[in-house]
Amino acid sequence: MSVNLSVNLSGIKMKNPVMPASGTFGAGREYSELMDINRLGALVAKTVTLKPRDGNIPPRLCEVSSGMLNSIGLQNEGIDHFFKHDLPFMKEFDVPIIINIAGNSLEEYAQLCREIDRVEGVSGIELNISCPNIKAGGIAFGASSKLAEQVTAAARYNTQLPLIVKLTPNVYNISKIARAVTSAGADAISLINTMVGMSIDTNTFKPNLGNITGGLSGPAIKPIAVRMVWEVAQSVKIPIIGIGGISNALDAVEFFLAGATAVAVGTANFINPQTMTDIISGLEAYLVEKGFTDISQIIGKVKT
Amino acid sequence: MLQIKADIIGKEEVMPGVFNLILVSPEISRNARPGQFVHVLCPTDDGFMLRRPFSIHRVVPGRAFEILFQVMGKGTEALSRVKIHDTLDIIGPLGTGFKYSEDIRSALLIAGGLGTAPLLFLAEELVERQVLFYPMLGYKTKTQMLRYIDFKRLGKKTYAATEDGSFGHEGTVVDLLNRTVHNIRPEIIYACGPVGMLKKISETADEFGIECQVSLETKMACGIGVCLGCACVTKQGYKMACKDGPVFNTRDILWGAEDYEKGLANGCGCDNQALSDTDSAG
Ligand SMILES: Cc1cc2nc3c(=O)[nH]c(=O)nc-3n(C[C@H](O)[C@H](O)[C@H](O)COP(=O)(O)OP(=O)(O)OC[C@H]3O[C@@H](n4cnc5c(N)ncnc54)[C@H](O)[C@@H]3O)c2cc1C
Ligand SMILES: Cc1cc2nc3c(=O)[nH]c(=O)nc-3n(C[C@H](O)[C@H](O)[C@H](O)COP(=O)(O)O)c2cc1C
Ligand code: FES
Repeated sequence: MSVNLSVNLSGIKMKNPVMPASGTFGAGREYSELMDINRLGALVAKTVTLKPRDGNIPPRLCEVSSGMLNSIGLQNEGIDHFFKHDLPFMKEFDVPIIINIAGNSLEEYAQLCREIDRVEGVSGIELNISCPNIKAGGIAFGASSKLAEQVTAAARYNTQLPLIVKLTPNVYNISKIARAVTSAGADAISLINTMVGMSIDTNTFKPNLGNITGGLSGPAIKPIAVRMVWEVAQSVKIPIIGIGGISNALDAVEFFLAGATAVAVGTANFINPQTMTDIISGLEAYLVEKGFTDISQIIGKVKT
Repeated sequence: MLQIKADIIGKEEVMPGVFNLILVSPEISRNARPGQFVHVLCPTDDGFMLRRPFSIHRVVPGRAFEILFQVMGKGTEALSRVKIHDTLDIIGPLGTGFKYSEDIRSALLIAGGLGTAPLLFLAEELVERQVLFYPMLGYKTKTQMLRYIDFKRLGKKTYAATEDGSFGHEGTVVDLLNRTVHNIRPEIIYACGPVGMLKKISETADEFGIECQVSLETKMACGIGVCLGCACVTKQGYKMACKDGPVFNTRDILWGAEDYEKGLANGCGCDNQALSDTDSAG
């Protein structure tokens, strides 16, 4: 018996609902040597900014219980370099390409969208609105529903492409932010980005990250992510990409049950580059075992 | 670069808490260069654990390779419990190796403790290429002289220092270097060990105008250049230990935050904003 894993994410046609989480897969170049990118539902690149960014002072990583902290700081070579060196590589695969962007200002987001709209072969834009170092008094765009709405509107005005807005979990009321970006024209929502955390070396009394605090990812954040996907699914109609601590097919199933239309895998790629392809096979097996024929039959089906 | 399930065909506790594993992989054995490493999934039951990087210690030509590791925490502890004929999930070979020119004639190999791990592979390659080299090895004490015999067999003249003076020179390998470097006059120094030691060695190398390459250790997540988590500060900006390194030429390295800021003032290309970032969800 064959099952249908394909989903249509607001116009992005995916042969299955599994993709990498931005920043954990580069542009796919390195992992293409270890796994089959053509099996993925979509290819999501590391956040690009208008100008190159050097990123944060090391150390940038720290393993913690059931997860890791990172303070990379959006190191990237800028959009021009991305168009020249990464996008052509990504286009070699038969997989929709999603470009994740971040800006310091509304105008930067707008300009990035305009530039991406002008190139061929891109299937969608993901707005990273939990990025560091922004103009608005140091408050991430994603932490204020007003700013989240403004940045989504600015992007919406400047692109025809499906627009995904990636939310930060470092907020009290995620549904409010989700509604704000939906009303401003988002086509889909991805969540969650990392949770701000900290770890201290008990010998040296120094923080384990050069940046002092960093973003927590991995299994530790999965229950929070599932809860947030579930809450957002109650409050908006647009599709959701569930992200946070997914390392196997059953983790992914939880997100579908909570209301996600697709999932993205981050930290687990570092541990096993086969994680996403294993999840795709595992989802098929799960649906067969449970007697379903289509992934859509489990989306949002949590019994509460 | 490959991801393999490697059979363990040899395991030895070479001294308390330090283990040597022999792992089958014709591909890694054939392609590995001294200074490269493998990224190992340590077999543990308590859930989440990132891979751990280990230098390629030696190769059995065409068949296998070895890693030499010290138990430091939960990853290496799990690794110390593997049995012969277990398999390990490994990605490798990774990173750049030590470099030398075709006509290299003499080298000094300086290791502190576990720093011997990548340098033994290099020593074996230098022997094959008939390059004269001098191992200089620093240990805590006589009973912990990891791979001393192996280096002594391979090298032209082997120098040793112990911190307690129980064997060879009493003091650190850095003292020993400073006393002997003007006699040895190597064309190049290769070093691996604690970062404080590497920094001092690079100062001496600088003073005598000797090229110096060191293997740097950082925490790693992906190990293949994707996550940008293993950044080292160089005069050319941030470089990734797993991909651009772990071997770096010391003339490129900026050793501390102080140097880093100096580098900024000199326009190394790192943006100041990076230093003032407070939120970092990357
Ligand atoms: C390129 C590279 C090559 C390496 N090659 C070898 C090798 O050949 N043999 C070997 O024994 N080790 C090697 N290491 C270090 C090895 O990766 C770490 O010792 C290991 O990751 C520790 O894991 P753990 O889970 O046992 O310890 P953790 O639980 O992660 O740490 C336990 C304690 O050890 C400290 N620690 C962890 N890593 C390091 C480190 N790199 N340096 C100093 N202190 C550390 C931690 O701060 C902590 O206090 C290498 C590292 C790199 C980056
Ligand atoms: C090393 C690292 C780098 C990341 N870089 C980015 C990034 O550039 N842009 C972004 O939107 N999210 C970034 N993230 C967040 C992930 O995309 C994802 O939202 C988060 O890690 C939670 O998923 P996970 O638990 O599966 O890793 C990064 C995460 C990690 C661990
Ligand atoms: S460990 Fe990920 S880039 Fe080096």
